[in-house]
Amino acid sequence: MEWSILQQYGPMLLRGFGLTILCWLLGTVLGMVLGLVIALVQRYAPRPVGWLVQAYIEVIRGTPFLVQLFVLYYGGPLVGLRLDALPAGILGLTIYGSPYFAEIFRSGFRAVPNGQIEAARAIGMAEPTIVRRILLPLGLVSALPALVNFSIILTKETVILSIITVPELMYQTQRMSTETFRYLEANLVLALFFWALVETISRFGRRLEKRITGYLIERT
Amino acid sequence: MLAASSVEIRKVNKYYAKFQALKDVDLSIPPGKVTCLIGPSGSGKSTLLRCINFLEEYDSGEVLIDGSLIGYDTPGGRRMSGRKLRDMRRSIGMVFQQFNLWPHMTALQNVAEGLIRVRGMKKAEAEARAAEALKKVGLADKMANHPSRLSGGQQQRVAIARAIAMEPRLMLFDEPTSALDPELVGEVLNVMKALASEGITMVVVTHEMGFAAHVADQVAFMEKGELVGVDAPSGILHHPEDPRIQAFLKTYHERNSF
Repeated sequence: MEWSILQQYGPMLLRGFGLTILCWLLGTVLGMVLGLVIALVQRYAPRPVGWLVQAYIEVIRGTPFLVQLFVLYYGGPLVGLRLDALPAGILGLTIYGSPYFAEIFRSGFRAVPNGQIEAARAIGMAEPTIVRRILLPLGLVSALPALVNFSIILTKETVILSIITVPELMYQTQRMSTETFRYLEANLVLALFFWALVETISRFGRRLEKRITGYLIERT
Repeated sequence: MLAASSVEIRKVNKYYAKFQALKDVDLSIPPGKVTCLIGPSGSGKSTLLRCINFLEEYDSGEVLIDGSLIGYDTPGGRRMSGRKLRDMRRSIGMVFQQFNLWPHMTALQNVAEGLIRVRGMKKAEAEARAAEALKKVGLADKMANHPSRLSGGQQQRVAIARAIAMEPRLMLFDEPTSALDPELVGEVLNVMKALASEGITMVVVTHEMGFAAHVADQVAFMEKGELVGVDAPSGILHHPEDPRIQAFLKTYHERNSF
């Protein structure tokens, strides 16, 4: 192995890694927000709207991310949606993640005992207040492990953005490989970066889980 | 003395698909009195209770709180608006079998929540009122505890405090002691007795015949969705005429003798 080329390519790889983190972070946060909105619409909107949303979920979950990205980036301009690679990639991640996040939130909401919602209704609390004060905090606690898990899955989906020329870590790795033929070194570096990212997220997730569920766990 | 509501239930029917849970139920609940609903499991007592604050939607008939219909604009008409329903519910407290406290809030926050979000009180004022309600149910020293750090009996007393802090004119109890260990039943019944003596209207679904005998002003017996009889406690519990009530009490006494 020849690690000295990292002196030359290191900064580029680091920049790529930074962009990977940016894409992942924005795609995950926006995907969660969209997923949450979808889950709330499914719970509260009238039937026809619910069906539409369900159709959206089925379509996005039923097609590969790569295909969605192609449609968005290369097909978008045909309908007047002209996006640069980076925003297209982030938007793509957002859309791709949203139905999974929606399902996670839905199951989190379902884990909230109905009696606790009824108790709020019985004292005359309005439905939006119930969502904000009871359903969301309790549902999020139940959903947290699955949210962290899917966020971790999404880190690795970011490599697909290289195909629409977002210069993230995978893109830079490939560039280094083709310019130097050092495939092994390049990909080992990529693996290391991803492992570090995933490990950080999962540690953070576990800490968060411990903090916010501490008082919910029965202590006898 | 607190202001007390009356409840009029007229020809109420309730279906779950084809199963009829309530059959032409008529019941008059006078203000300031304690009414106990008894009967076998699945007889419709809880369903009837839940129709009184419209947590359960009855299909026909009328439920009137102080003369005004709850749940519908007119008998058999459209569902009433959410705002109207919420306004009516503000004066009806409810206590559940499973307590249903909000686990992410302390005892004090559980009680203050409704005062802040429904009555629009300032936080400090609400918490002062909540502390008072908790003191009343004997939990002044547990205010900062989350429900997971309270016994079942304590949780149920917090739930009662949560309801009475809203100053209801009517209290509904849905088997408030059924989920409790036997040694914790007494503390909850004592709080309910104290509440009864304040003159608030109470409707209690219960299997505690002792409570029904000593605290209730009237006892209603239900079976298979029908209201079989309503009378003073002695009439239902000691001298029942209907063979269905006799049979129910016989199994009850057999189970509780040793």
